Amino acid sequence: MRPKLTAISKTDPGTRKTILEINKLRKVFSVNGSFLTVLDCIDFSVKSGEMICILGRSGCGKSTLLKMLAGFLTPSSGEILLNGKPVSDPGTDRCVVFQEDTLFPWLTVQENIAFGLRGRNKDKKGIRKEVDRFLALVGLTEFRDYLPREISGGMKQRVALARVLILKPQILFMDEPFASLDAQTREEMQNLLLSLWEKLSHTIIFVTHDVNEAITLSDRILVMSKNPGRIREDIHVNLARPRKLEKEEFIFFSRKLYEHLCD
Amino acid sequence: MTKRENNLIRNPVFPPRRGTFRAWGRSGQTKLTLLPWLIPALFLSAWIAASETGLIPTYLLPHPLEVGRAGYNYIFGKVGDASFAGRFLGDASASLIRVGTGFGVAVIFGIPLGILSGRLSVVQRLMGTTVNALRAVPGISWLPLALVWFGIGMKTTVFLVALAAFFPIYLNAAAGARQINPLLLQAGAMMGVKRLRGTFAILLPGSMPHMMTGLRLGLGIAWAYLVLGELTGVPNGLGAVIMDARMLGRIDIIVVGIIIIAIMGRLGDQLLTISLRFCFKSARRTS
Ligand SMILES: Nc1ncnc2c1ncn2[C@@H]1O[C@H](COP(=O)(O)OP(=O)(O)OP(=O)(O)O)[C@@H](O)[C@H]1O
Ligand SMILES: [Mg+2]
Repeated sequence: MRPKLTAISKTDPGTRKTILEINKLRKVFSVNGSFLTVLDCIDFSVKSGEMICILGRSGCGKSTLLKMLAGFLTPSSGEILLNGKPVSDPGTDRCVVFQEDTLFPWLTVQENIAFGLRGRNKDKKGIRKEVDRFLALVGLTEFRDYLPREISGGMKQRVALARVLILKPQILFMDEPFASLDAQTREEMQNLLLSLWEKLSHTIIFVTHDVNEAITLSDRILVMSKNPGRIREDIHVNLARPRKLEKEEFIFFSRKLYEHLCD
Repeated sequence: MTKRENNLIRNPVFPPRRGTFRAWGRSGQTKLTLLPWLIPALFLSAWIAASETGLIPTYLLPHPLEVGRAGYNYIFGKVGDASFAGRFLGDASASLIRVGTGFGVAVIFGIPLGILSGRLSVVQRLMGTTVNALRAVPGISWLPLALVWFGIGMKTTVFLVALAAFFPIYLNAAAGARQINPLLLQAGAMMGVKRLRGTFAILLPGSMPHMMTGLRLGLGIAWAYLVLGELTGVPNGLGAVIMDARMLGRIDIIVVGIIIIAIMGRLGDQLLTISLRFCFKSARRTS
């Protein structure tokens, strides 16, 4: 058996309260009359304020897992508890940043960000103030009146981030949100996410297939295996922040993790 | 580095902000303003040439000047001066009311039913076969039945117009609702959107480009069936004028009627597009 990568990281106090608990989660799809077990025996829990990365190769069921956590899909068996209560429908307490562009094309940047708040009966002034704040947080104040088709992919993901952060979800799911961006923009977005995480201290589950991204962002990485998708390892990352790709310890960690992922 | 370049770096030039009016037109349109008139102009020249040279006898197609005079009289003449003089206002308003009512009825049924059948497979299964079967029936076959049911006049015309305009409106609304990206609906659900708000905030705007196509097609067909309904012997309306003129052998008035219908149809389409863009963000921004 392979030795564990690291000991418990010092940034994780272990005293925080558990916010999300997943027990024996299983998802079976029936495809053309036969059954395909996509996820099996998924067990983990998330503490308030944690940023967790789920790392796995394409097709291992990461998106399926996220969709169940968000309430878009019902599990075949097992349970998902948010603050002790089972999750069934989608709700504003669990928000998703999708991999694809899912902004409303007929709304401007600021209208997209305000969309969720409009549903809660809040006064116009209050909404306006919140939107201004989040526009500034993601650095899009200048582009508030633009339509999604008039801004770049990176900016779209900023809008997607802002429109859910503004709702103050208990937990935020991100499904490979930066996968389609170029390397520099991706790094920019990672830094933005980290700074927002520090400022707003959200609980985040971040799905990725990029080893370096996982190490840059999170203190805890869940490595998934394929066919059926299982959580194979729960790794704590105790590298000092900010984590720079060039640092020797980063490279060492990344190589180790990559080996874990491959076999 | 020049001052201007320096300025540009400090204040980069962003594309212009979204103004309500700017978004209505499309850029590059101004240079081509005359192009749409080319075909009518050619047509008119050919007509003048044919009349001047006597290629087409006047009892088949009167000289453009004569038609122009008849049209002037029809529109601006004093009622009673001559047959057809000054009838325009009454005819046009009667026709507009019939088209408007029929089209309105088609919209009231077509849009909600279309959206429902685009989203709910139960409704699609329920309606699909019937709608497609009825759609295959040419509108004119309803005319005898409509005459029996509603008699001559407003009701028959409105019935025909509504029936004909319903199908393109319904079918396009259904197509629009069906093709909405399901991720947009999921995103809405995650941001706390419930049924009612989802319909108005996501479903309608998301299907707007298709719906607009359906409405425009519907309005075009509405004009066609208006004239059909009015040919049956109602006392006023643009179709009635054409019918009366045929009885009296006034070819010039027939041509005047056709031209007026063409112009009003075109203006109606434009008015529809403009008012949709005025009323709905999604119509301004996505179609
Ligand atoms: N609705 C569905 N019906 C049947 N099978 C499905 C369905 N959704 C996903 N699957 C199957 O589940 C498996 C996992 O899919 P999923 O999209 O969760 O993978 P992923 O880990 O997100 O991959 P990627 O990194 O490429 O996004 C795939 O083999 C896929 O074929
Ligand atoms: Mg995926």
